Amino acid sequence: MTALIIVVGILAVVGAVGVVLSTQPLYSALSLVFSIGMLAILYLILNAQLLFAVQLIVYAGAVMVLFVFIIALLNPKAEDRPILDVRAVVAFVAVITITAALFATAHNGITYSGSNFRGAVVGASHNDQDPAYTKHAFDFKPADVNSGQAGNVQTVGGQLFTVFLLPFEITSLLLLVAAIGAVYLTRRVPKTEVDT
Amino acid sequence: MKASQYLLDSGLRVGNGVAADPVLVFAVKAAIVVLGLTLAAAFLTWAERKVAGRIQLRYGPNRVGPYGLFQPIADVLKLLFKENLAPATRDKLLFLVGPSLAVGTAILAFAVIPLSAVNHGIGAGYDLHWDISHLNIGLLFILAVTSLGAYSIFLGGWSANSKYSLLGGLRSTAQLISYEMAVSFSLIGVVILTGSLDLEKIVTQQNHAWFVVMQPLAFLLYFTGALAETNRAPFDLPEAEQELVAGYHTEYSSLRFGLYFLGEYVNVITVCAIATTLFLGGWLPIVPFLSFIPGVLWFIGKVAVLILVVMWIRWTLPRLRYDRLMSLGWKVLLPLGLLNIVITGAVVAFQAA
Repeated sequence: MTALIIVVGILAVVGAVGVVLSTQPLYSALSLVFSIGMLAILYLILNAQLLFAVQLIVYAGAVMVLFVFIIALLNPKAEDRPILDVRAVVAFVAVITITAALFATAHNGITYSGSNFRGAVVGASHNDQDPAYTKHAFDFKPADVNSGQAGNVQTVGGQLFTVFLLPFEITSLLLLVAAIGAVYLTRRVPKTEVDT
Repeated sequence: MKASQYLLDSGLRVGNGVAADPVLVFAVKAAIVVLGLTLAAAFLTWAERKVAGRIQLRYGPNRVGPYGLFQPIADVLKLLFKENLAPATRDKLLFLVGPSLAVGTAILAFAVIPLSAVNHGIGAGYDLHWDISHLNIGLLFILAVTSLGAYSIFLGGWSANSKYSLLGGLRSTAQLISYEMAVSFSLIGVVILTGSLDLEKIVTQQNHAWFVVMQPLAFLLYFTGALAETNRAPFDLPEAEQELVAGYHTEYSSLRFGLYFLGEYVNVITVCAIATTLFLGGWLPIVPFLSFIPGVLWFIGKVAVLILVVMWIRWTLPRLRYDRLMSLGWKVLLPLGLLNIVITGAVVAFQAA
């Protein structure tokens, strides 16, 4: 299982690197699709099935199809390869540092307390009776993954429509605003007789 | 624990206590489905030409074998031995990826469709599921995989570096995105009624009445939308002969063209199988006393009838104009789908109260 996670994880990273290094915009977009697909498989391995389906339907199936559609429609020329300069070095160091910090956090474990707001959610897959439960991200066992109900449709739906109802509704309002804005921006401007 | 075993045990399998398929059973099931679908698709080309012939008052293929039954074999041989022409300016990698994806996504969607009821306790407490992989979120899996099908047509159209192909690819992408919404919405009514995304549970809950009775609107919406997703007439704008030569597969020849062809027919089978599973009671018999006929035969029979309807529609209806296609998807199917969700939800809520 760990081997599978490592292989899929490496493929996801390869896809992500491809996004940055491809000179053709379409190849960048397709690398992103590949990376998204690999992430979806990782979710599936971690038993987060709903997340797997959402990742594929929303990101690979809808958002990225639109990206690819627009790229083909505009048919942009191939870009130059990014040049290695000071900015690139700074960005590289920053990325390495953040990644190392994330790995260190994951390895040392994060402590959830029973009354912790996030703990109530994340704890759905762990032992949330334990007041101070330390979870090591790297040492999960199959039993751990199997017993987890955190990723299934019922749990996510229940949380979404009870605990997170307000943020959920506000987000939907945000999307509505964005949709109205998009329609307004792309409307046909009626011809005026002023600019002759 | 081996990686493949793990995937079978927990990743793909849910539902506590469900015994996992041994890898061998899994492989055999997969092989049967893949071979069966390929063969069925080949003979559907024969069926389609026969149906077309009858509708146009002619015989259709009748030279190779009895009733022209061996025509598909002759066709496949012809495709195999044809020269594989490809434009010099093509994108070499994507030109190959396109047709492979077309078949891959079409077959993958079939992996979660149950062909018959579970056989409990074969061998040591082992349940035989009549699908390749028994997923808790089968319905979502199908939606996810079919949404990836858009890439195959688009990549084929784009990589050929030809204007007709590109136009076909762009049209199909726009069409698939527009109709995917309507199709997904039409399925939600069934999900509300069953409270499950598990296709086996959805079928067993149709014991008393098929969902086509309770959800007639959803069935019509799904069938229309799914027809558009398979890119067949009257929604075959991506390959409209009169306008785009052959649309996205203009530059394809030989087996690569054959793969697109195969993908289209497997898609038709998959779409009809989903409609059967969700609305026509899957493997359940029409009336209880006919239940001595095995479930698989019921399933195949229902799918066959639906496929016949799909062919019938193709040869009797003219192609839609592009703007009409878009307004049908966004202004008719989508609002009706929403209406169906609201009505179903209200009825279920009132019954529960």
